[in-house]
Amino acid sequence: MIIQRFISIFLLACAALSAQAASDEETWQLLQKAAVAAHALSYQGIFICQSGQQSKSVQIKHLFNGQYEFARNVVLDGSPREVLSQGSDVVIYNPKNEKVVIEKRYGNNMFPAILPTDLDAIKLSYAVRVAETERVADRQAQIVLLEAKDNLRYSYKFWLDTEYGLLLKSVMLNAKNEVIGSIAFNQFGLISNLDLDWFKPKVDARKNYVMEDEPAATTDTNASPHWKLKDLPAGYVKVDQMKRMVRGKALPVTHVIFSDGLASVSLFIEPIESGVKPRLGHSVVANTSYYASVAGYLQITVLGEVPEATVAKIANAVVFIK
Amino acid sequence: MTEHISALADNESALADVEQLMVTMQTNNHEAEVWARYHLIGDVMRGTAPLSQKFTQQIMSKIEQEPTVLSPNAALTRQTSTLQYTADAQHKMPVAWSIAASFTVVMLVGWMVLQTQLAHDVVPAEFAQVFTATKSTPLALSEQAVTQVIPAAYLMAHQASAPTASSYYIQSASYSE
Repeated sequence: MIIQRFISIFLLACAALSAQAASDEETWQLLQKAAVAAHALSYQGIFICQSGQQSKSVQIKHLFNGQYEFARNVVLDGSPREVLSQGSDVVIYNPKNEKVVIEKRYGNNMFPAILPTDLDAIKLSYAVRVAETERVADRQAQIVLLEAKDNLRYSYKFWLDTEYGLLLKSVMLNAKNEVIGSIAFNQFGLISNLDLDWFKPKVDARKNYVMEDEPAATTDTNASPHWKLKDLPAGYVKVDQMKRMVRGKALPVTHVIFSDGLASVSLFIEPIESGVKPRLGHSVVANTSYYASVAGYLQITVLGEVPEATVAKIANAVVFIK
Repeated sequence: MTEHISALADNESALADVEQLMVTMQTNNHEAEVWARYHLIGDVMRGTAPLSQKFTQQIMSKIEQEPTVLSPNAALTRQTSTLQYTADAQHKMPVAWSIAASFTVVMLVGWMVLQTQLAHDVVPAEFAQVFTATKSTPLALSEQAVTQVIPAAYLMAHQASAPTASSYYIQSASYSE
C-alpha cells in the first residue's frame, strides 16, 4: 500500500516536471519564433530606443524578398543618423559637421532581431517564464520573461506579437528589477510591396560622404605568450579575438569578445606604455560596466552591457605570463 | 634692547640685527610685551583704532551665530565653545584613528610597491623597451591613474565589433560631432 502510494506520488511529480518542461519548451519556442520572424517578415514602423539618459525615435522599414534581407533605420530625433543593413552587413551614415561619416559594422542584432536564432547558449544562463498579455503599438502582445540565472547578466522582458510572433518591445532589467534600457514599437505594420527604391540613405546629399577613419581590426588567432585566460564567468565564451588600433594608442591592442548568447563583453589587452600611468578603476554607466586593472606589464580594460561583477571577473581572468 | 626694538618697529633696524632681535622677542616675554606696546603706541599715533581685547571672543561669537550646520568643524566648535582644545580622552580618539589610518596607508603603499617589484622581476623581450621607465620607477599607488570614466576610444571599439541594439541608433555621449 505504501509502495503504491509512493509510486503514484513519484508519477505525479514526474508528470508535473514533464508539464513544466513542456511549458518551458513552448516558451522557448515563442522566443525562437520571434527571432525568426524579425528576419523573415517584411514590416515598417516607428520605435523608441532608450538607453541611459538618451532616447531616440527610429523609423524602420524591413524587407525580406525571400532570399535577402534589407533594412533602413532613420533616427528621427537629433542628428539625422541612418542605419542601412543587408543581412549582417550594417552601414551607418553619421552626419558630422560638414561631412557624412560612413561607418561599417557587422551585426545581426538590430531591433527587433535582438534574439539569436540559436537559443541553446541562452538556455544555459537564462530561464523563461510566460506572463500576462498587453497591448503594444496597437497590437496584442504576449509577455515573456527571460530571467538571468545568476548576477552575471541582466534579465529581459519581451512583448511578442500574438499573431505574427514578432518582438514588439524589449526591456532590460537589472538585479533590482529596474529598467536600464528599452526598445519598443509605437507604430507597426506589415508591408507587402517588394520594391527596393527606399533602400538608400537620404542624409544631406550636399555633404561629402567619407569613410570612417577607424582602422579595421584584423583577426588574431594566435595565443599570446604573455597572457592567458582562466576561470571565465559562467556562461560566457570567447567568440572573437582581434588586433585593432584604438584611438590615442601607438601600438595595436588585443581585443577579445565574450558572449553568453545575448550580452557581449569586450576585453582589451595592451602593454603599459612607457611614461603613461596605468589605468585603474571601475564604473557603471546606464547598462554598461567598465573595469580597468593591471596584470604584470599589461593594461587590462573590460567593458560591456553586463553587471559590474562580470567585467571584474573577466579582468581578473587574465593571467600574466612572465 | 628697547631702543633696538623701537628701531625695528619703525623699520629702521639693520638687517643684520633683525634675526637676533626676533629670537630675543620670541624667547623673552618682556621684550615681546615691549614690541607689542610700541606697535600699540604707533597705531594710536597714526590714528589706527586698536583692536579690542575682546575682539577674538566677539568674532567667535559671531561665527557661532552663523547658520552653518552641515560642517563637522562647525559642530565641533559649538561643542567646545573655545579654540582651546583640552587634551581629554575624547579628543585623543581622532588622533589615535589618524595614526592608525596613516599606518594603514603606509602598509598599503608598501605592499603595492612590493607586489609591483615582484611582478617586474622578469620583463618579456617584446615589452622590455616599453617598460624601461616602469622598471626603473616601480608603480606606487600614487602613480596609477584611478578613473571612473569609461574611455570613449574603448567604448567605440567595443560597439564597433560587438554592437548592442541601442548602439546602432544612439551615439555614445563621448562622441564628438
